[in-house]
Amino acid sequence: MKAVSVKNASMHFGDFTAVQDVSFDVGEGEFITLLGPSGCGKTTLLKMISGFLQPSSGIIEIGGKDVTHVPPERRDTAMCFQSYALFPHLSVADNLQFGLKQKRLLTAERKQRLQDVATKLDLTAQLDKLPNQLSGGQQQRVALGRALTMRPSVVLFDEPLSNLDAKLRDSVRMEIRKIQRDYNLAAIYVTHDQGEALAMSDRILIMNNGRIEQAGTPHEIYGTPNTSFVADFIGDANILDAEVIGEEGAGRWRLGTQIGELIAASAAPPVAKTLKVCWRPEKAQFGPGTENTITADITHRAFQGNYTDLFVMIASAPQRVQWRDNAVGLADSLTMHIRPEDIIFLEAIA
Amino acid sequence: MTRLNLNKILLWALFGLCVIWLVIPFTIAILWSLVDPSQPWTPDHLLPPSMSFYRWGYLWAHSSLKIAMFNSYMLAPSVAIVTLTLAMPTAYALGRINFPGKEVVKLLVLLPLVVPGFVTAIFFTAILFQLGLNAWRFGAILFAHSILFLPYAIRIMSVSFETVRQDHIDAARDLGASTFERWKVAYIPALKPGIMATLLIVFIYSIEEFAIAFIVGSPNFTTIPTLLFTNLGANFIRPNAAVISLILVVPNVILMLFLERLLRSANPALSSGKG
Repeated sequence: MKAVSVKNASMHFGDFTAVQDVSFDVGEGEFITLLGPSGCGKTTLLKMISGFLQPSSGIIEIGGKDVTHVPPERRDTAMCFQSYALFPHLSVADNLQFGLKQKRLLTAERKQRLQDVATKLDLTAQLDKLPNQLSGGQQQRVALGRALTMRPSVVLFDEPLSNLDAKLRDSVRMEIRKIQRDYNLAAIYVTHDQGEALAMSDRILIMNNGRIEQAGTPHEIYGTPNTSFVADFIGDANILDAEVIGEEGAGRWRLGTQIGELIAASAAPPVAKTLKVCWRPEKAQFGPGTENTITADITHRAFQGNYTDLFVMIASAPQRVQWRDNAVGLADSLTMHIRPEDIIFLEAIA
Repeated sequence: MTRLNLNKILLWALFGLCVIWLVIPFTIAILWSLVDPSQPWTPDHLLPPSMSFYRWGYLWAHSSLKIAMFNSYMLAPSVAIVTLTLAMPTAYALGRINFPGKEVVKLLVLLPLVVPGFVTAIFFTAILFQLGLNAWRFGAILFAHSILFLPYAIRIMSVSFETVRQDHIDAARDLGASTFERWKVAYIPALKPGIMATLLIVFIYSIEEFAIAFIVGSPNFTTIPTLLFTNLGANFIRPNAAVISLILVVPNVILMLFLERLLRSANPALSSGKG
């Protein structure tokens, strides 16, 4: 059974289309991330699932039931807000129990769930405190705990880590994922941080202009982006305009690009005769190869610690190369090659 | 000059100002109220030559002070509650709903404050007579005060409503809270200081209001201010006026201090970003 199904959901605000014809499913225990730049419709979509917005058209199902017209207070979802939205005048314990009291759960059951969540989230010592007496990380955990006590079909996260500092974010990230696994909860996680999405998700839905641009596992999204938007949004990419000159054996094509002729190897054929292709900066191979050997002029160098970013000119096209070996590339120019399988076909050029 | 020294000087300056502003008038009022009729307080004496509580006892026994106090202290709390209730819907709309022309409405709401109280009172009473409300004087003054002090209440409460955080409302809803529970957990804690401030300010304005209470109420409905003014006219007796003005002002000061404490103890997290 699917925890959540979104079927052809659209949302219009006057003339503006925030979400257009979006469909996807979330399996039980699956962690899905909605990833995209601000204004791409990801938060709107989350609000439609939580019930705060009624879709202009389409159907939302939770636990196999159509809830499109069910208000948020009667939906089996629980939300972790970006601002945490903890009730400042209630103690941590009362915040955690708030939803259970609304449900009129028996006291024993309520106490048991409270203890369970407080233990799992390491909040037992904080139960009598007020939210403003807690650190940011602790407040975040209370917000998560308040959602978890509800034992919902799906937990919704609205950029929950954006108020934490970078170090804390990494640990809370892992913690959220661990607890989601422990409870075997379905989760929908909204973020604009690609690192967060890659690290946490079972599946990522990349959104752009109200549509799902691409859906897949983090590996699929990073390894084989479908469009230049996805390639650019996730990780770094050198995007080129290419023309297919001819097929060179099974699954190999000769391309004409700004940086010269390249051989590309792909399981899927190119979508058109003229299209965008990309290659990842860290895929550049040092030295000449049997194919796709390129000489590049180095224009700028940026040391990043564990690698060096080189901004290079290849036949007057600016490209980016990342070397693991920091000693490499101290000269003015370098010779490198790109393996054919590292060149990825993107969308057609209209 | 060090920062600490400057702070000290400013503190003393403030203290001095408070003495001039509050303590001296109060002291003089208290002294005047204690002047014994046997010996008048003449300018050649620094203190009244003979002091007693005679005036207090006399006014308590021989004037309509008891009735006036009863009237005022019945009227003012009623006005405070009625005004707050009447202000709520408009304040909610101004604080929480976006609509075209909202800024203009905010200004219009405050406009009645521009007109001097007496001018409003004279014409307002005419309307009250036309409505036939003048027969029930308590009700007429209650109605008039509520309308007059509505701008203050709307102003305070609409700002209060703006401070209610939408994510608290949404979180409560998301966790299954009914409309009533949502009010309890998200609105009331944020509105509480505003509600207290409104009640107090309207209470004080109503206690002190003279024009309407006088025009509508006279001659047979006395409040403390109308009683005070009758002691200021042709038969002006300064010690009596001092007694009544102290009766008028002392509860207000106590209430003010009470509100100050209350606002200070209000949860600071409510207005801050997190929590």
